[in-house]
Amino acid sequence: MSQSLKPYLTAVRSSLTAAICVEDFSSQLVERHNRPEIEVDNTHNPELILNPMVIARNENEKILIEPSINSVRVSIKIKQADEIEQILVHKFTRFLTSRAENFFILRRVPIKGYDISFLITNFHTEQMLKDKLVDFIIEFMEDVDKEISEMKLFLNARARVIAEAYLTPFD
Amino acid sequence: MLQIEPNNLLVQKTLTERIFPDSESLRSVDRIITDFDFTTYHISTLPDQKNLLLISIYLKCFGDLTKYGVIDYLNGKYAKYSQYLSVLSGNDVEQGYDYSLVLDLNELESIDDEGKNDVINELSFLKRHAMAAPFEKAFARYDELTQTYANSNTYSEEVQQELQNEEVLVIKYRGSDECIYIKPSFDRVTVIFSTVFQDETDKIFGKVFLQEFVDARKRSVQTAPQVLYSHKEAPLDIQNYVQGKKDDENKGYITFVLFPRHLVKGDRRDNCISHIQFFRNYFHYHIKCSKAYMHSRMRFRVKEFLKILNRAKPENVDDEGKAIENRKTASGRRFDVGRV
Repeated sequence: MSQSLKPYLTAVRSSLTAAICVEDFSSQLVERHNRPEIEVDNTHNPELILNPMVIARNENEKILIEPSINSVRVSIKIKQADEIEQILVHKFTRFLTSRAENFFILRRVPIKGYDISFLITNFHTEQMLKDKLVDFIIEFMEDVDKEISEMKLFLNARARVIAEAYLTPFD
Repeated sequence: MLQIEPNNLLVQKTLTERIFPDSESLRSVDRIITDFDFTTYHISTLPDQKNLLLISIYLKCFGDLTKYGVIDYLNGKYAKYSQYLSVLSGNDVEQGYDYSLVLDLNELESIDDEGKNDVINELSFLKRHAMAAPFEKAFARYDELTQTYANSNTYSEEVQQELQNEEVLVIKYRGSDECIYIKPSFDRVTVIFSTVFQDETDKIFGKVFLQEFVDARKRSVQTAPQVLYSHKEAPLDIQNYVQGKKDDENKGYITFVLFPRHLVKGDRRDNCISHIQFFRNYFHYHIKCSKAYMHSRMRFRVKEFLKILNRAKPENVDDEGKAIENRKTASGRRFDVGRV
């Protein structure tokens, strides 16, 4: 792990652990409704929303944590150095979001400016262990970078092989 | 399977089945076989004479090929089998197809197995031979130019001007957007492919691939033809010949410069032709392959992520799916967990 990645992930881990402190909370506006307060327009009761926070490793890699009384929204921006990585990240996140129902906490559409978003509600924390949820997000952040750079390397290696395989028989 | 074979396996198989039949009785055959670039073969027995096999081919760019003498070239190629293989000319060509041949199986009986296999092979190369005609023409022109300018100062302006005006052969093998341009000169033959990428991913993968084609020559295969790549803008040599939309974002031009060493008459020249005419197929085939690989890789990775997430789910859950803490200490006491 590189020097700057470790403190970044440590910061994310402790912030997430602190942020995922949610409880069951029924809507104050609509009777018998229970909705993730972070996802609805809360101009009427701003007390339900906590201060959002951004942890950034650099301008290309950052995470936005938006806590509220009964839900936390976590959005991740994945590193994209060039157009190959851009397309790979795009493909990969699309692949994930199209399988969102299996991922429980995955949001189908990311927040603007980010590549992928998770929505953790009190129901999730009741069914799943909070520490493990945090582990998942941390591991996701680590693996996604690794996967993208591996795919990029693979693409270059493959391109090299096929170029040589094509050009060699000319002689 | 790294390389794409220049012959058509299905044509080869169909003919082999027919020429070396399992049973005595001859059954009638009617088969349509498709190949790259909208090419279609039709292999059928004639209605009343089951011993006659009609083989026809349709090529999208046959009109262009005729300009460059494809019919004479193909006739020449198949002339040595004239005893049992006759070429249909003019109006006799099967309707909807461009070139037809009739194979007489009775006549073929008298030939030994090796001879039969030879015919089968040669017929399975039908598309390759058809596409080879303009290349042969351009290479012949190159031979001529080499002769003409053997003793003159090729750096002089007049000569350069003449070479500049040399005719470019255009083969619109997939419509006007994807063409092959061939330009002969006295010391080289330039082959330019124009290609269209279907989507953004193809375009970017294509760029990576082409960059490697350009670099491969510098790195390891020094004797390979020079490769140049330009995106969107057509190379100067062929700018007057390009049709269709000029500033298509998804269009790319790949230039191969064939040097005299690739154009040595005989096997090497044939090999070079078979190889270069399949460039587009090879290129796009490998783009698709990488995409497929990426896809399966992502599938695997998503599965791994799911496993990690599922670790967060405790194994012991009550009816409502909520976690029950029922771990006990060694003495049998329970942990008391208060939930908010």
